[in-house]
Amino acid sequence: MSLLTVENLTVTARVGQGGVARLAPVLRGVGLALDKGEVLGIVGESGAGKSMLGRAIAGYLPPGFSVAGGRVDFNRRNLLAITAEARRAMLGREIAFIPQEPLSALNPVRTVFSQLGEHYTHLGIPRREHRARAIEALAEVQLPDPESLLRRFPHQLSGGMCQRVLIAMAFASRPRLIVADEPTTALDVSVQARILELMAALQRRAGTAVLFITHDLRLAAGICDRLAVLYAGAVVEEGGAASVLSRPLHPYTRALELANPALSARRGLMVLPDHMPGLAALAEATGCRFAPRCPVRSHGCAEREIPLIGDDRRVACQYPERTLGITPSAPAPPHRAGTGEALLSVEGLGRRFRVGGMFRRHGVTALEDASFTLREGEFLGVVGESGSGKSTLARLIVGLDRPTTGRIILAGADVTKGDAAARQIRLANLQMVFQNPSSALNPRRRVGSIVAQALEAAHRPTVEREAVAAELMRAMGLDPALVSRLPAQLSGGQRQRVNIARALAARPRLLVADEIVSGLDVSIQAQLLALLARLRAGGIALVFISHDLAVVRHLCDRVIVMQQGRIVEQGETERVFASPQADYTRELLAAAPPDIGAPAPTRLLAIPPPAG
Amino acid sequence: MSKLLHPRFVIGTSLVLAVLLAAIFAPLLAPYNPAHQDLLATLAPAAWQHGGSVAHLLGTDSLGRDVLSRLIYGARAAMLVAVAAATGAALIGSLLALAGGYLGGWVDWSIGRAVDVWMSFPPVILSLILMTGLGTGLFNVILAIVLVDWTRFCRVLRAEVLVVTHRDHVAAARLLGFSHLRTVLLEVLPAVLPLLFTLFALEMGIAVVVEAILSFVGLGVGANQIAWGQMIADGRQAVFEAPWNLLAPVLAIFATVAGCNLAGDGLRRALDLDTTRA
Repeated sequence: MSLLTVENLTVTARVGQGGVARLAPVLRGVGLALDKGEVLGIVGESGAGKSMLGRAIAGYLPPGFSVAGGRVDFNRRNLLAITAEARRAMLGREIAFIPQEPLSALNPVRTVFSQLGEHYTHLGIPRREHRARAIEALAEVQLPDPESLLRRFPHQLSGGMCQRVLIAMAFASRPRLIVADEPTTALDVSVQARILELMAALQRRAGTAVLFITHDLRLAAGICDRLAVLYAGAVVEEGGAASVLSRPLHPYTRALELANPALSARRGLMVLPDHMPGLAALAEATGCRFAPRCPVRSHGCAEREIPLIGDDRRVACQYPERTLGITPSAPAPPHRAGTGEALLSVEGLGRRFRVGGMFRRHGVTALEDASFTLREGEFLGVVGESGSGKSTLARLIVGLDRPTTGRIILAGADVTKGDAAARQIRLANLQMVFQNPSSALNPRRRVGSIVAQALEAAHRPTVEREAVAAELMRAMGLDPALVSRLPAQLSGGQRQRVNIARALAARPRLLVADEIVSGLDVSIQAQLLALLARLRAGGIALVFISHDLAVVRHLCDRVIVMQQGRIVEQGETERVFASPQADYTRELLAAAPPDIGAPAPTRLLAIPPPAG
Repeated sequence: MSKLLHPRFVIGTSLVLAVLLAAIFAPLLAPYNPAHQDLLATLAPAAWQHGGSVAHLLGTDSLGRDVLSRLIYGARAAMLVAVAAATGAALIGSLLALAGGYLGGWVDWSIGRAVDVWMSFPPVILSLILMTGLGTGLFNVILAIVLVDWTRFCRVLRAEVLVVTHRDHVAAARLLGFSHLRTVLLEVLPAVLPLLFTLFALEMGIAVVVEAILSFVGLGVGANQIAWGQMIADGRQAVFEAPWNLLAPVLAIFATVAGCNLAGDGLRRALDLDTTRA
């Protein structure tokens, strides 16, 4: 008897404006089983419905969403049929949750102890035992100095520490099931690895079953016993983790795996066209939902939907035997030897900020003594964790901020001062692509006007702007008809393309891109990486800032590794990844999720517990 | 736009439009010359009251002047003050808000402190002092309201400007070669316009009230102008004999202010971009 069985679960959402509201299936006939002590990974991109599964178990669907059918049995009780009180009594005790955003999951005005204590009271633990229990629990999640930590407030802790506190809370009741919804997505790579290892260790010791919801196939590969891959609200493939990864049966699973750049070697990527159907499209979709994007579809796929079939390995595909034949559609981008002329040199660059109130001001060093040279047409990756000074470096290069020390030479001219002459040189040579398109695109401008903004700045006539906008849209793989849309009416991937197109309209020789593929789904990320690889044929140089080592490995010729405002290592990508010199680089590489099929790492807990 | 059909906005705009039209077409709408005195028919009751007649729908005041006609002409002063004062305060306030919020640094600091000092004066007292110094008259009423209320625009808008200025599309516009002026006009200002319109509508209502207060205490538009505040002051003496002398201007002020507030609220909802819509 399984601990948790989900049978034919269907969740619908109301879509459409006004009177013509329709019901879109967010989950369709989902069936899963989870045994005691087992870790089941729910893998899917945004919009696949994976979070809805967790929320249906918690009985906490967002407004407009409702369960239309099926059952969720936990310990032989149907969670969808029991009263709200009965469910409340069960949640936090027998079923615990680990949230995605640790900082917003804790109450900012209460101490760690006060929040742990409240949870203990809910569990019926007598007050006099709270302190001892709390100290023990925090020590268990390897937080240093638990005694003093109890008095601290959430904002005084790092994201990783907050997540440890929440994990301590989740395990406090020795629950039988833990639902972890993207528990490490908001954390840095090295912290992510430690948190996962910690969860796995606690899970093994307590024999807890875990429903691990993630968008990252590589992460799931490392921690899960079994995997279920979700696409457009339905499970398309399910089975043992090793078997699903080594021998995927559904084309989508295979495509997901091939869309991830590898850490160990540069390889081609699978680039799927288009994106997963949104809510409105789901309401009308028929047949195999993946068929429009499927590289091996044939007649009948679009008409007929195959149910999940098989015993231990289940797949919802008519032609599973074709799946292994899928090969990457975009070749690996070529390496370019750094032989061109220097386009950008940075010498001893530093930036200190003065912080604090009117009194007790002190300096914080965001960047210190950074020096490197970028040649024409070269792709330079900048990697590091949050707070390493990557974004400060980008802002200094493009002139949004002035350095306190050092020099910046662009196209042979000193642009350090940022005066009118420097502004002209920057305008002629470089552009920046910002991280978050919803902030970087003016929500009130039409897409066409955004793309042609550089020409607007140069007072070019409207006809020319429209022509250039249409041309760039096509070059970005976007339908030129989208020019009359507002950014909010585009998908995330389309928005990011518009974001890139606007920078390219200025015909820069150097593009500075700050985390432009983070936060995007892997299949969309693969599309953008292929796009950037195509751009290099035009001879553009790129400073590519990213926390994702595999992506940098895939795209860049040279790489800079940053830690706490300093460059700790730089060199040819192949060399740095093959034989890292700095300890920090080795640490980063060890913490990154390993490639699928690579030997399972065993090293994680050997890393000393974090200081912050 | 279907959002403009929201009842809140429709009711508010209708009310304001009605008052505005009454003000513009006062000579055509008013049944009598508002200054004409009929000393044989003073304090006549309203048409529906005992002894009332349709000749004077809202009755007459203590000098035998037609209340309805005076009400209609009173809308002129009210609307003129409302529109002009709100425009003036909005211009000064938003200009300083844009300068402070966009430029930051010492400019922002100086403007912020000026607003702080300005706002520490009680607004009614400040306007009374100003009126005493300036003397009565329509233009001076407008000037007094502008001088008192620009801070309202400045403080609220500056916070919004600050938020918008730190969005990446503003930095992107600069990097693409937009001058500071164009960046402010094309990237920052459009984002704060909905808030500006809302504040403008609210300010119109406030201006109507302030004008009434000033006229009530005799420091308003002056004796030769017809104003609702003055009508209230006059009607107060005969409130038991002819209540509509007092009630009519009170209701007119109420309707105008409510109209402005509703229209402003509706406008904000209609203009605010739903950026989260997929």
